[in-house]
Amino acid sequence: MSGRPSLWWIDWRLSRGPLVRETIGRFLFFCLLGFALLSLLVSGGASRFLSERYAITAVLRAAVSPAEAEGLTRKVAALPPVRSAAYRDPEAAWKEFLRAYPGLDPLRGAGGNPMPGYIEIRIRPDRFSGADVDFVAYALRSVPLVEQVLAGEEGLPRLLRAGRLASRVGWGIFGAFLAGFFLVGRLQERARAISLAGDFAFLAERGVPAGRLAVHRAAGAAVSGFLLAAAGTAAGGGALFLSLRYFPFLEGVVGPPSDLLLPRTVAAAVLFSCGVALLSAAASLLGWRAARSGRK
Amino acid sequence: MIEGFRLGVFSRGTTLWDGLDFEFGDAAAWFVAGPPSSGKSLLLSILRGERRPDAGDVLVSGESLYRGNAALARAWRASCGHVPEQTTPDARLTVGDLFRRSALAGGGVRESDRKDRTDRLLEMVGLPGALGWRTAELSVSERVRACLAAELLRGPKVLFCDGVVAGAGIPCREMLWGLFRALAREGNTVVLAERTIPERWALAAGDAEPVGPFRVYRLPVPGGGAKGEPG
Repeated sequence: MSGRPSLWWIDWRLSRGPLVRETIGRFLFFCLLGFALLSLLVSGGASRFLSERYAITAVLRAAVSPAEAEGLTRKVAALPPVRSAAYRDPEAAWKEFLRAYPGLDPLRGAGGNPMPGYIEIRIRPDRFSGADVDFVAYALRSVPLVEQVLAGEEGLPRLLRAGRLASRVGWGIFGAFLAGFFLVGRLQERARAISLAGDFAFLAERGVPAGRLAVHRAAGAAVSGFLLAAAGTAAGGGALFLSLRYFPFLEGVVGPPSDLLLPRTVAAAVLFSCGVALLSAAASLLGWRAARSGRK
Repeated sequence: MIEGFRLGVFSRGTTLWDGLDFEFGDAAAWFVAGPPSSGKSLLLSILRGERRPDAGDVLVSGESLYRGNAALARAWRASCGHVPEQTTPDARLTVGDLFRRSALAGGGVRESDRKDRTDRLLEMVGLPGALGWRTAELSVSERVRACLAAELLRGPKVLFCDGVVAGAGIPCREMLWGLFRALAREGNTVVLAERTIPERWALAAGDAEPVGPFRVYRLPVPGGGAKGEPG
């Protein structure tokens, strides 16, 4: 018989039933939290929604040939903040105009097609900021082929402010749920420490130091917290992936399913699991301390 | 060897006892008899390293339990088994939980070994198949025997029993007599604290050594120069 008791998963060994119920509850909670986390990460808060609806229009001069316009489009598309750049020749622009304003065909009769060609530029959601929009607009304005750049700069700051606010609200709600997990977790740990007080006293009487018990419980809570958060986030990610596959319109708000597997998304999910592990360990230690001191 | 030197306890504003010397040799079964409220449970907790005496010291193999290394005291407690006097049971626990908890305190008991030894120990104390029973539903005698069996699971070198003989009841005395002497024969030390010693045990043990309010008997161990059998 070894002299050093194995105290790993001590709560599990002493009280399986309540712990199973707690674990199932936490897993379901992390599924929801993981779903929310990945949605926020992939969408960038409200950035994707706004960037999908925002475009910079570079109106080209009438004399610009299609080849020149295509060349400029390729150069614009190569700018770092630009997600896509599409050239519309004057004919396509005219058709779009008629779709938007039917019945204005007579305008063309007198002097030919009055619509110039243009380039529609969309910004990457993660670069959708005032500085990047200004950068693209400034770059376009310096090109002689461009007659006018319509970047909506008057309303853009308001739009970006609203986007930032929406992102903060989203992350704030997420943080509140995480804090709620910590508080509820602490209460659960405290309740469990109280219910197992007799067992801990039994072990302490038999030479098991209370500090070692607390550390092992916290370590167990950290490991199980990490695994539960990782599993919950994976399950939440799976649900989000399927939602995006079956409801493509969500892509405009959240983003493409492939973004779920980007290294930065995976890294953020791992970081989240590590954070949950730390919170679980802290909740365990605080719950243990509160149970021993008899405080709330 | 457990030695108590000039032990003293002050309780409820008065001196319960003071200046008591004890000497419990290894591989023996000791019986400490004392009247109610004489501090028997207190004495056991002092000897186990749980409660510091108000005067004197306890030495285990020559090392002080209270003035020496804390790790030594912990190691000593880890090597001890303790069956407390039965009061209110924990309604949550089953007999199986007692064994699981005991195995956890001992560490290193394999699951298969634990099951096997649990079954044998329960059978030995006359509680076969009691693993799933709730301790709250057991009689005092059954609870005492279940706790004793759970402590024995770890194979403690020193076993402290508080009121076990009285709690287990007369029909179990023969079993306990045999068990304690067998443990002593195998090199373990057993210290029993009771209000009275069964008459036949006293006869077999011979003269008691009076120590303060207590009378300390050394039970005869088979093959160890026993004075006699209890009958």
